[in-house]
Amino acid sequence: METLNRQTANIIVWLLLLAMPFWIKALGGYTELCTQVLVYALAAMALNFLLGFTGVLSFGHAAYFGLGAYGVAMTIKYLVASTPLALLVGIVVGTIAAAIIGWLIVNLRGVYFAMVTIAFGQVFYFITFRWNNVTGGDDGLTGWSRVPIDLGFTRIDILHNPTAFYYVVLAIFAVAVGIMAFLLRSPFGRTLLAIRENERRARFLGIPVERHIWLSFLISCLFVSLAGGLYALLNNFVDPRALRWDMSGNFVIIAVLGGMRSFWGPMIGAAIFVVLQDYVSSMTENWMSFLGLFFVLIVLFFPRGVLGILRRKSLS
Amino acid sequence: MSLLRVENVSKHFGSLIAVDNVSMTVEPGELRAVIGPNGAGKTTFFNMISGFLNQTSGKIVFDGEDISSLWPARRVWRGIARTFQITEVFPELSVRENLRIAVEVASGYRLHLWQSRNIDGEVKARVVDLLEMGGLADKADRLVGELSHGDQRSTEIMMALALKPRLLLLDEPTAGMGDQETYEITQLIRKLHRDQKHSIVLIEHDMRVVFHLADRIMVLAEGKMLAEGTPKEIAANETVQAAYLGKAAA
Amino acid sequence: MTQLILFDTFNGLIVGAFYALMALGLSLIMNLSGVINFAHGGFLAIGGYLAFTLMPFVGFWGGLVLAPILTAAIGLVVERFLIRPLYGRDPLYSLLLTFGLAYIFEDGTRYIWGAQSLPYQIPTVLSSPLSSQFFFLTGYRLFMVVLVAVAVGALFFILKYTRLGVRIRAGTLDLETVSVLGVNVRILRNLNFGLGIYLAGLAGVLAAGMLGLQPTVGSSLIMPSFVAIIVGGLGSLPGTLLGGLLIGVASGLTTVFFPSATEAVMYIMMGLVLLVRPRGLLGEEGRF
Repeated sequence: METLNRQTANIIVWLLLLAMPFWIKALGGYTELCTQVLVYALAAMALNFLLGFTGVLSFGHAAYFGLGAYGVAMTIKYLVASTPLALLVGIVVGTIAAAIIGWLIVNLRGVYFAMVTIAFGQVFYFITFRWNNVTGGDDGLTGWSRVPIDLGFTRIDILHNPTAFYYVVLAIFAVAVGIMAFLLRSPFGRTLLAIRENERRARFLGIPVERHIWLSFLISCLFVSLAGGLYALLNNFVDPRALRWDMSGNFVIIAVLGGMRSFWGPMIGAAIFVVLQDYVSSMTENWMSFLGLFFVLIVLFFPRGVLGILRRKSLS
Repeated sequence: MSLLRVENVSKHFGSLIAVDNVSMTVEPGELRAVIGPNGAGKTTFFNMISGFLNQTSGKIVFDGEDISSLWPARRVWRGIARTFQITEVFPELSVRENLRIAVEVASGYRLHLWQSRNIDGEVKARVVDLLEMGGLADKADRLVGELSHGDQRSTEIMMALALKPRLLLLDEPTAGMGDQETYEITQLIRKLHRDQKHSIVLIEHDMRVVFHLADRIMVLAEGKMLAEGTPKEIAANETVQAAYLGKAAA
Repeated sequence: MTQLILFDTFNGLIVGAFYALMALGLSLIMNLSGVINFAHGGFLAIGGYLAFTLMPFVGFWGGLVLAPILTAAIGLVVERFLIRPLYGRDPLYSLLLTFGLAYIFEDGTRYIWGAQSLPYQIPTVLSSPLSSQFFFLTGYRLFMVVLVAVAVGALFFILKYTRLGVRIRAGTLDLETVSVLGVNVRILRNLNFGLGIYLAGLAGVLAAGMLGLQPTVGSSLIMPSFVAIIVGGLGSLPGTLLGGLLIGVASGLTTVFFPSATEAVMYIMMGLVLLVRPRGLLGEEGRF
């Protein structure tokens, strides 16, 4: 019964995503907004791999998001005009940084872990900010754009056709999300749940907890850098704000808003967040206050998130 | 050869000496109880054997190998499994999932990303065995966090057994339980020891349980070993009576 | 060159004193309540702006006394109504809440006082250089160092000798026992939060005199404070003090030789500390 429900839910989610560029216009949206939802959803789902399914609180994921974004932008601008290669470089850069920093911090726990991830997140912000002859500094990196993808038999013009770009991003999103779901259902994924549920018990079952947290951190950051790379492609632009602390906060609040304990939760959070951001920042200059209030209200009145509440209702 | 040899271990927390120069030998198939008043250092002693704490001095030898400086997971891989005084389980997962994780980890699948149908079947069969042994078959799909204290404790013991341990360390398995639950857990431990020949070290508060089950008993008081012997010898030992049993009776 | 090094070392010491003052408040709150107060920088900015607003009425010295107290009062209210409901929940939530507060404070100060930098008048007694050779050694800078030293000294005195301080320290070690002994933990946490915010407010007034006032002053000082706590060792207030001064001096010196790495150097220090001594320089073993 439950697996049946899950399958229905999955089919509905994918149908909605496939048709999004069409129904969003009816709601007054535009295609780039759909792509933005996917990018934020991927980032938040990747963060949630660590936050919701391993129980480790990282508040510095923007660093790897931004590294992915800069990896893509700098590859296209300075090295080679190829979108797939650029994405690959972005992922590799972000994941290597995560491997090193993860190795430094896996022994830390709880608030201490959170604080160190926040602080480390800022390193890359300052590097991109200061190294302006290469990264463009505070003004960001311009003068490049995404490159149409050549498949040999056909060419997908993702540069001029936003709908084509949306579907390319959706395909990448599907693969990434599929891999994460697959990992979470494997024996390895169950060891992560075990660590989330009770680290002491996990350790005394013989799970080398630090090593598994490190792996989870790595996987999470890999997909966050992928999301960052797509973000750069979406905007044809990247600036240091992509890897500043407030971006990390956005990912966490998106995951919490949608529901940290459910796989699709962050996706719902991302949809709400992106649409709200688009709407509110066109209405008022005080987006920041609004966002702050949003954080406070979610924490005080909505801590289980949308799916957390729905699930609770269906149980009772 | 003895299964476990603890040689002169001590643990200091700053100026506090929690365990002072204690030795113990456990033979294969033995059920050894460690008793003593609160604060006697029983749990600290246990924590050093399982690697939860590092000893300040002394040596721990398991099956001929010095394991004194191995980290906890490695000691588990050598065959030492433990439970905790305050039950440690995965509360938001079902009993079945709790056991399944333990079985998979024990079988060396912890990094596997995929399972063949065969292996999947083996794992499931082993989980069913454990469910039945622990009397948990009818609660298999409930969340462990929702179960009674006694059932949570049984789940924890079954998780430890899933590891196919060569030595089982049980830290006060009947702590905080009513008479009926205490009886059930005691029966379970007896079954493990008598029928399945498990080697067990048990910390226990409840004297009935200890004198009922143990082959040999070690008494700790204020971090030192006070006495060691069969239940009869311990019951007759005057120092023990003065230090511990007397107090408990009073 | 020597003078330049001396200048930047001294400058670094001052900046470090700031970091330390701010980090000590953060540490106090984190140690007792397990809350990472991301809004600490926002409180600092409020302290500075309040002093600015009060100055026409009470002067520099009045502002120096009143503004931190008012900031602390705001802190008490925030703790009571927003943070108290979150104790005992995942630390994620208090972090997210203070994150939101940081946004609101920054945007709020911008709304009330404007985005542009405001000059902060300091008394002429303090603003003139003390000697022509060491031109950088203005009275204000010296005054700041002395004031931070006094504040830190007073904090350690309070923690060591007053009843409140002893309770805070005991609660940091074992909150449950303290509550069993009949101490009202809610009030203790409230006052402790206020004390931490008082330090932020004081740092805000001092920062206003040195850096001028901008809405972003808080968010630019919060990260170094985190680094100070991590380098010094979580759970140790002397460690936090040491960490603040160390990263201040280190970034001061880097300014001389490799200016573009001024910020990076403290993160490098943090990485090294985590590598060699994960609990921080003076951190206690097994606390985290």
